Amino acid sequence: MSHVHDGAHESSHESSAGAANRVKTLVAALEAANVLTERELDETVESFLAHAQPANGARVVARAWVDDAFRERLLADGNAAVAELGIDLAHWAPVRLRVVANGPGRHNLIVCTLCSCYPLALLGPSPTWYKSDAYRSRAVRDPRGILAEFGTHVDAGVEITVWDSTAEVRYLVLPERPAGTESLSETELEALVTRNGLIGTALV
Amino acid sequence: MGGQHGFGSLQIESGEPPFHHEWEARVFALNRFMLRSGRYTLDEFRAAVESMPPAEYLAASYYERWLHGIERLVREKGVLDVRPG
Amino acid sequence: MFALGDRVRTRIANPAGHTRLPRYLSGRAGRVDAVLGTLPYPDRRAEGIVSARETAYTVRFENADVWGPDGEPRGSICADLFESYLEPLEEQ
Repeated sequence: MSHVHDGAHESSHESSAGAANRVKTLVAALEAANVLTERELDETVESFLAHAQPANGARVVARAWVDDAFRERLLADGNAAVAELGIDLAHWAPVRLRVVANGPGRHNLIVCTLCSCYPLALLGPSPTWYKSDAYRSRAVRDPRGILAEFGTHVDAGVEITVWDSTAEVRYLVLPERPAGTESLSETELEALVTRNGLIGTALV
Repeated sequence: MGGQHGFGSLQIESGEPPFHHEWEARVFALNRFMLRSGRYTLDEFRAAVESMPPAEYLAASYYERWLHGIERLVREKGVLDVRPG
Repeated sequence: MFALGDRVRTRIANPAGHTRLPRYLSGRAGRVDAVLGTLPYPDRRAEGIVSARETAYTVRFENADVWGPDGEPRGSICADLFESYLEPLEEQ
């Protein structure tokens, strides 16, 4: 599968090899018990990667930047507003979307301290750092320090709200539209929106 | 672990692959499959992951924790038991 | 039942089983930021009671009320918490 890469990861070489063997044994047992097939597992991963796209989040934000009425609907009822764009949030599980808007003097940051809840449909697969103990422990206590590690500076006067996703509500940050983008089309604006901007670790 | 000290700085990877090994993708898919086929609920899964002894939990990688939870629920729920008929 | 803007305090608790009240928010004072309606109740669902549901709220906690002097001095934390986790707190 092409989405698997070598590189930095959390597990040690030995424990990873051990886990690989355990998975192989488990899958073989489940196949033998007619619970599932390897093909079904592969299709599950393919379907996830096809549906969970950060481009979806970018479309939502760009639309909110160009259409004030949509922005109001998005902040009032996230599920209904993204459904207007044909995005199905409930593909994996019934979650409620709350969109939180950055503004002058106001910044938002998303975390899940208890596990790793994340709006997959809008942001794509979550990065390893989001699921890490370092992020989960520190985002709620030291959000400014977290932002600094991403090279993101918010002024001392800006109030940060950290959203800890402890129930089946998923959060998405609506970043401020960058200055000097008045002449850009909606499609051009979409290209400016970064995944980290939608988590709140970057400004756009 | 919200607020706990000592986990150090973030490790931000380039490329940010969703899975680092084939087995991680398999673990992700196994959990999705079990949840969608109603073998267990997401809350039971979270509880199973949290039932790891703390030292093991902290030493394990993200998907190793998931694997522990899946293995435990497969045992507890008798998913491998032969069904009559 | 709580309403938007109500002052609440999270219960002091240390359950052996599953809960979605984070330890760092136990016994803390906050304010209802949103009423979420009825959601699946994780503490019971984790025990196999699949139909368990309870009213949930988004509660906003000022950082100083969570960390004292040892966190980000300004700003707040919002978490989604169930009715059972909360008790009313009189306005001071």
